[in-house]
Amino acid sequence: MYPLWEVPVLSAGFILGIIATFHILPSHLSTSAMWFNVFIETKAYRENRPELLEFIKKYALLLLVFAYVTGTLSGIGIWFSATVASPRAISGLIHNYVWGWATEWIFFIIEVLGIMIYYYTLGKVEPRIHLKLGWIFAIGSWTTMVIIVGILAFMLTPGKWLETGGFFDGFFNQTYFPQLLMRSSFMFAIAGIYAIAVATTIKNLEVKKYIMKQASIWGIVGIIAGILFFFLYLKSLPPHNRELLTILNIGSLKNTIIASLGFIFLYLILVYIRPQIIKLPIAVISIVIIFAGIFATERIREMLRKPYIFGNFMYSNQFIAKDLPAKGVKNEVEYINTVGILQVVPFVPEDLRIIREENQFQAGKLIALIQCSSCHALGDSGVRPLKPLVKRIGINEPEVADAWLEAIGSYPYMPPFLGTAEERRALALYLSSLAK
Amino acid sequence: MNISQMVQGLVDPMGIPFYPIVFIILSVLTFAIHIMFVNFVVGSAFFAFYGAIKGGQYWSRLTKSLIKVTPITNSVAILIGIAPLLFVQVVYDPFWYVSNTLSAWWVIGFILFLLIAYSSAYVFYFKYESSPGVGKLAGLIAVVMFVLSAYVMHSLNYQALLPEKWLSWYIKGLEVDTSGTSLHASQIPRLLHFLVPAFAMIGIYFMLYAWYFSKREDFSADYLNWVANLGAKLALYGSLVQAVVGFWWLLSVPSKFSFHTNPFFILALLSAIVLIAYLFKAQKNPISSAVPSIVLAFITILFMASAREALRLLYLTEVNYSPFTYKVNIDWGSTVLFFATFIMGLVIVGYQVAVAYLSGRQTRVLEETPQLRKWGSLSIALLLAWLVIVAGLGIIITIRNFF
Repeated sequence: MYPLWEVPVLSAGFILGIIATFHILPSHLSTSAMWFNVFIETKAYRENRPELLEFIKKYALLLLVFAYVTGTLSGIGIWFSATVASPRAISGLIHNYVWGWATEWIFFIIEVLGIMIYYYTLGKVEPRIHLKLGWIFAIGSWTTMVIIVGILAFMLTPGKWLETGGFFDGFFNQTYFPQLLMRSSFMFAIAGIYAIAVATTIKNLEVKKYIMKQASIWGIVGIIAGILFFFLYLKSLPPHNRELLTILNIGSLKNTIIASLGFIFLYLILVYIRPQIIKLPIAVISIVIIFAGIFATERIREMLRKPYIFGNFMYSNQFIAKDLPAKGVKNEVEYINTVGILQVVPFVPEDLRIIREENQFQAGKLIALIQCSSCHALGDSGVRPLKPLVKRIGINEPEVADAWLEAIGSYPYMPPFLGTAEERRALALYLSSLAK
Repeated sequence: MNISQMVQGLVDPMGIPFYPIVFIILSVLTFAIHIMFVNFVVGSAFFAFYGAIKGGQYWSRLTKSLIKVTPITNSVAILIGIAPLLFVQVVYDPFWYVSNTLSAWWVIGFILFLLIAYSSAYVFYFKYESSPGVGKLAGLIAVVMFVLSAYVMHSLNYQALLPEKWLSWYIKGLEVDTSGTSLHASQIPRLLHFLVPAFAMIGIYFMLYAWYFSKREDFSADYLNWVANLGAKLALYGSLVQAVVGFWWLLSVPSKFSFHTNPFFILALLSAIVLIAYLFKAQKNPISSAVPSIVLAFITILFMASAREALRLLYLTEVNYSPFTYKVNIDWGSTVLFFATFIMGLVIVGYQVAVAYLSGRQTRVLEETPQLRKWGSLSIALLLAWLVIVAGLGIIITIRNFF
């Protein structure tokens, strides 16, 4: 277990969440936009409509400057913030999927060089060459999604990986294809929605109308397909995750998704019927609304992983829950319960390793930090803060807290307490003090 | 629990999917490319700003070129930087993760500084002509932020080499410091040894610039000669200063490592001497010396990156850590996936770069030669073949495992 990072009020996970949420905006744009762009560019050359190139250039510039500056950095930002928020989890993922990420990296190079060369060579190379550059970019960029979805899906549903430890057994798990199909469909809708925003800035009215109509068709088809695959995705979830779907408090997230999809669907129909009335502010608001829907979906997906952080293998607090014989890994639960958490974790003040009456409270606090802080802020406020939580449950005596901790693993979304009975009593003392 | 046991306890229990030496070689190779581009970025950001302040016909023209390429080289630098950072986390995970968590806000800050630098570089590009004041300010911000990012990354890497200090940085009496607000260690000569070469490397970059555009009729020979001569001087004097910094850095390395006798260090030193000797000669004819200069410079960087790795191994031997004893759980499938994709990537990236190279070297529209046509079609075919193979594999595994 590594040193911990606490972020006052918010929590470390929240910082990761902010960056990951923002990343959705540029990342889905970057994988999708060029499909639409190449589609329009092909029409421009085939039907000899050079006026369409104005749109091509504008859309490519949005990609270059917005999607690739903020997309690259927020993508790396997810990795960096996960590194400091949950180092053992990112380490576990990397030690399984390093070649996956390294492979994705090659496609990153293709797409980033792709957008720069595509943008700067527009009009400077023959159309045949330029279209090839566009196709290479479009396919290469989508392939990054083909790879990352494998790792994302693995985090929730590790498939046969727990038995075999195999890269592809975890990668091609039961939710992989439904999720890939769902994301790819919504990706085309997002390409359309962004294209509409770009089209509002185009001066040539005919071009504007044409792009908007085409883009709205992409959007409508993408959304319908996405919704169908969404149900397939739900169906592919294993029983434990489906059970969480009914237990967890996700009502407002669900409503956000439904409202967002409903709004976007009506908006796209409006764009199709009356492209001329769409102005930039409405188009930007629509991007924000689809973004809210995606955000809610991603949040639910992350919550469904509980009590694990990945692969039904590592708990949210980064302790290994299960054996993985294929890689010679033992779970840490039994060992910690025998030896004690304060003995096992390296970054512990020496005076706290053995609990005595005078250090019991401090030890309890440190145990809370180690075991609870990845999901619960220790103070009054922040993400799922412990203080109001213990008050609500009514844990005001150490004995009550101790009994509660002993049974905590029976919540389907909570990891069990890890440590000796003495350590549990120390944590109980600390928790009950919060309620006072 | 002593430090050595602590480090062993942190090592990821899942092992690694291939032999450690392969990850180390890939990490050194990609780091060398990364740091070369970092030098280009820092150098071009610096001279873009300098040229904007200095003014004059030639400097203005050079600045206009530099503000266009800074975001591009920066993008490549970031992109290539992903790989060494990934491989470091494979074989040196305990060191990297402790260093990062102890300075967590700086890890997040690094991203923010880079974002500001990157955006400022674009503002400089788009605004320089319409509002030079804003452009110059953005240019200055970019330089400062790039240097700050370099400082943070240096510090995170250096802290990783000092495991004996970690506990004292984290534990305060009975409390632990979970704030992540401090950078705990840095070594100025080491940082300078990464940054000073920006002057030498941008010099070689200027020589390459003059060589590349020498075929274009819209670039005057006088201007290109001026850029090439400036570049050759920068390359030479930058390298000489770097040599001095190098000795300063060598003196700051703990003497117990006797690093001056290390074969990797000696190789790096020899290649640096050859480079400097060549740069002396290159002053006479900088344009035709451009390509050999960059080749020699890259070889030097590669040897220096290897020496850096050798030094890291020495530091970590102090806590009985060796990446070569890392538990290996070979995964042939994903290893083959990576290397096959890597080779395919060379073909495709080669095509993209070839188009950019050919198109930039002439003013008229680039026509598709039969070779380019084949190369382009092959690139697309490879991408599609990759998808078909991976999807096929996915379908087979899904059917086998779940139906």
